[in-house]
Amino acid sequence: MRPEELRDRLEERVLLLDGGMGSLLMSAGLERGRAPEFWNLEHPERVEAAHRGYVEAGSDIVHANTFGASPPKLKAAGLEGRCREVNAVAVTIARRACRAAALVAGDLGPTGLLLPPVGQATVEEMAGAFREQANALAEAGADLLSIETMYDLREALVAAEAARATGLPVLVSMTFESRKRGFFTIMGDPLGASLAALADAGADAVGCNCSVTSSVMVGMISEARRSVSAPIVAQPNAGQPRVTPEGTAYDASPKAFARDVVAMVEAGARLVGGCCGTTPAFIACARAALGTAGVR
Amino acid sequence: MTEASEVLAALSRAVLEGDDESVVGLARRALDGGLTPLETIEQGLVPGIRRAGELWEEGEYFLPELVSSAQAMKAAMEVVRPALARHGGGGELGRVVIGTVHGDIHDIGKTLVGTLLAANGFAVSDEGVDVPLERFVDRARELDADLVCASALLTTTMAEQRELVGALRRAGLRARVMVGGAPASREWAREIGAHGYADNAVAAVAVARRLVTGEA
Repeated sequence: MRPEELRDRLEERVLLLDGGMGSLLMSAGLERGRAPEFWNLEHPERVEAAHRGYVEAGSDIVHANTFGASPPKLKAAGLEGRCREVNAVAVTIARRACRAAALVAGDLGPTGLLLPPVGQATVEEMAGAFREQANALAEAGADLLSIETMYDLREALVAAEAARATGLPVLVSMTFESRKRGFFTIMGDPLGASLAALADAGADAVGCNCSVTSSVMVGMISEARRSVSAPIVAQPNAGQPRVTPEGTAYDASPKAFARDVVAMVEAGARLVGGCCGTTPAFIACARAALGTAGVR
Repeated sequence: MTEASEVLAALSRAVLEGDDESVVGLARRALDGGLTPLETIEQGLVPGIRRAGELWEEGEYFLPELVSSAQAMKAAMEVVRPALARHGGGGELGRVVIGTVHGDIHDIGKTLVGTLLAANGFAVSDEGVDVPLERFVDRARELDADLVCASALLTTTMAEQRELVGALRRAGLRARVMVGGAPASREWAREIGAHGYADNAVAAVAVARRLVTGEA
């Protein structure tokens, strides 16, 4: 898909993304501490079922299970040297679940490498990693690329550049927290200026995902709208994660989430979905609420 | 202002500002000027790092500033530690293994606790951040540790603290376990079978003393 095509679709209507993948696979039996990318290779049918749940719930765009499929992350997970293979398999699985009903986004998460002063990684190292993954996703036939959960603007810009070089449409969302002086990443990048920098760098849509609940996300989207004219992405969590004896639990209801999704669209978001803890039930509720609200 | 209090204030400021160059010279000046290692740590370094932690809590500092402060603190400790050993702070109280659990890279609280334990006479082996369970267990065995301290700053990583208690028990080690970090609590410590919990670094020293001396 060409970037203009995505932009045209977004002019027409709001596009619904999918919800959480890692948390969904964990509830399907993925062992704690194991990288979700393993399941592309070991249990493709379970990954496909998760995608299908989202397609049936009404997602227009589904993320392939490649959030942690950059070379450094794969190496840390024990899948060193298998970037091309893992990304190709994941896109194929997502494509099987989507058929013509939804688009497949190649998902790129942070490399886990940290730039100074926090770590010793270099921008060049990151750029190489993102190029390798973005090219693998494009080669495998992803319709667009979605960069998510970025907490360092420098890394987000490097990822965006590598993704744009494939010629596919590129979404970039960063993860912000609510601090005394506004919304910032843990590295201190402010929301408005960061999204503006990403839009200037040519991202087709920019926004926020993870870390916060849908009610906080509504405020973030309002600020994003004031800062950029590019289409805005919003993917909040299903409330705050809590540790229980059974594992991690999230406390928001699909209904409350769906109400906030409508508010996010009213605040200016054009691509809405969920992050950690959200399930097909959340997306189905959001789809219904958007229909009822009559927003386009 | 006396020379001593001036050096201590400058030391605090250098840590707060993450100035890991001038902090080394200031630490030397403090020791050369007759301050004890414990005074240098507790009245110079600790107020600086504590203030950095407060600014983080208040939303003024972000990870880069916080890490820079922690690095300045570490650089100063390199200077102070040998002096500490000469002053008999060389660990007669007990042996401690400390680290931030696997999957978590929060450094500052753990480093502060480790530093204060060392300053108060424990022999501390700081394993850093993102420490796998096996490493905690191996080090506790190697050192015949009295105490293992595990820090977790995320609700998603605190479960590692529970795993650690089990892993040490299964390994048959005698070390007691102290947990800390924002999501931890006294109730959490009790629930997972940890022996102690502290909600700040000063309290951690008191808890550690109690745990290794076996009093109450």
